[in-house]
Amino acid sequence: MSEIKAKDFAPTGDAGEEKDAAKAHFDNLKTNKPRPPKPQYAVTIAVSSRTLFNMVTERKIYEDQGLEEYVAYQRDHENEPLMPGPAFPFVKALMTVNARLRQLYPDSEELFDIVLMTNNHAQVGVRLINSINHYGTLHLQPDISRLARRTAAAAHTFKGSPLYPNLHTMSLQLPFPLSDLTIERFCMTGGESPTGYLEAYMTNLYLSKDSEKVSEAIEEGIAAATMFMAVKENELSDTQLRVAFDGDAVLFSDESEIIVKEGGLDTFFAHEKKFENTPLAQGPLKCFLEALGKLQRKFYAKNERLNCPIRTFLVTARSAASSGARVLKTLRSWGLEIDEALFLAGAPKGPLLQKIKPHIFFDDQMFHIEGARELGTISAHVPYGIGQKYNKGKLIESPAKKK
Amino acid sequence: MKDADRALVVAVTTRAVFDAAAGDVYGMGVAFPLLQSLQKVNERLLEKNPAESLLFDVVLIATDSQQQSSRIISSTSHYGLEVGRFCFSSREDLVETLVVNNVQLFLSTDRDEALQVSQKGVLSALLGRQEAPSESLRVMLCGDAIVRPDCDPVPASRGAAQSFSARLGEMRGRFGVSGSPLSIVLVTSSGGSKSCGVALQTLRSRGLSVDEAYCLAGAPRGPILSLLRPHFLLGDGVIDLED
Repeated sequence: MSEIKAKDFAPTGDAGEEKDAAKAHFDNLKTNKPRPPKPQYAVTIAVSSRTLFNMVTERKIYEDQGLEEYVAYQRDHENEPLMPGPAFPFVKALMTVNARLRQLYPDSEELFDIVLMTNNHAQVGVRLINSINHYGTLHLQPDISRLARRTAAAAHTFKGSPLYPNLHTMSLQLPFPLSDLTIERFCMTGGESPTGYLEAYMTNLYLSKDSEKVSEAIEEGIAAATMFMAVKENELSDTQLRVAFDGDAVLFSDESEIIVKEGGLDTFFAHEKKFENTPLAQGPLKCFLEALGKLQRKFYAKNERLNCPIRTFLVTARSAASSGARVLKTLRSWGLEIDEALFLAGAPKGPLLQKIKPHIFFDDQMFHIEGARELGTISAHVPYGIGQKYNKGKLIESPAKKK
Repeated sequence: MKDADRALVVAVTTRAVFDAAAGDVYGMGVAFPLLQSLQKVNERLLEKNPAESLLFDVVLIATDSQQQSSRIISSTSHYGLEVGRFCFSSREDLVETLVVNNVQLFLSTDRDEALQVSQKGVLSALLGRQEAPSESLRVMLCGDAIVRPDCDPVPASRGAAQSFSARLGEMRGRFGVSGSPLSIVLVTSSGGSKSCGVALQTLRSRGLSVDEAYCLAGAPRGPILSLLRPHFLLGDGVIDLED
């Protein structure tokens, strides 16, 4: 039984499972697509529709004209595939890892499983499914994929101008679709918050553009982050999934950040030195790093360490000399490895991330998210811990919770 | 008395609506919230159009000789349930009673009973047993049989299923995208997102616009079903909502 999922799951009953398996097998014979993995063994990533696809125009229609107009618009355009959203490169990289895993372990269910988790109405879902299918066919050559991404990026930049509609259609006339996208599972809740379904689908990571839903998920103990598109686009690897994490309040709890905010840096350094050998408590993204590590070890077991298609990075404002040791010791005590640990000693993260080029970067502070975005890194905000009460070092008034 | 041609006739067994209890009035059974939801839909339909004829017409069928007819009628009145007709039948005559009363959907808590009825061509479904179901009527459709009709376990009631869906779709269409007292939920168990998309579009072409869609693609059904809490489930033969 896989250790990837924390929860135990009892199968529904032999007859039901056999029937499902037989039907699924029947489907695969027709489509030649690999069967999606069983949730209890897989690393399940739930993405919202607005993180998977660019729905900026459509969102504006919803906000300005209301739900009925928005649904009608989506129906009218349902045969026009949507452009990729912030999570698209990340999802594509997950597919690449799956392909490599299937090569090495053809019978294993320990794979990435992507679920589209949206509170959109099912009628909007038709366009979402059509868009997924559009990207789900032939595997593309790298140079054409870059051309397509540049076109998509240009479309983002020109979105206010009369050129935008032309770029939109132009990019759809590409000879090949952008990438091999296989998303077989989805939840379209027609208005209800999808948070309740995250547990039912055994979600390991939830990505959304809605910070309220992300906060709810984190409160339920599910790793989650709010995604932000980069202001410009860096070239990302086609062959390796690269994930960057901030340390405090992301991989680790916010206990040390509290000390910095309330006691200042000197107090913080003294504290960290004193407690160097005491592991930090875990943060919301620790389990996701753990899941990545388990998949990485599958490659190491087959002598593929040098060629591993998953690489993880720690990008922390801590400095190696004064407060770095505790972090590394904590990771070691958890049995976790991180491929590269980068201690910035307070320097801005943007330039370094620009060099690393991760498919996603997790941080708890909007200040760092903005810095990363400006220099082309797709970023995901983790709304956890004391960092949420501060903006650039100043305590902010927390707004009344919206209903 | 509802317009016979236009009403959507739904029959429920009294065994499902009322629990045996001491005293003059029966306790509330599993189907009780369902009846209240059907009533709510009717109220909202009439609010929009007082002359509306596409309404739910509820028929209560008693096959259980244990339940007394007078208590059934008084209990119905006690709870303010709107029932079009009462039929006191026997188990052997059940299907005939349904046909004679032009029942378009038969709901039961008894799997064997529901299966027997559907094999005779009357659309039948099992009632959901969840605690605290929602106020709005939640109808779940199983999409697998829609996409691959040759795998339909009960082909006899397929025609009845399609015509019921179309009428239900017409009823759903009276309300807007949000705030509807009636929600249509599609679940596909096997097959990927493409086939669920096909199910969505097929239903749409038959006049039924789905509100929520869940494509499981082989994932276990139990956890999702317990969250969805439908009042009843159509399609996929007659399956237990607890499966």
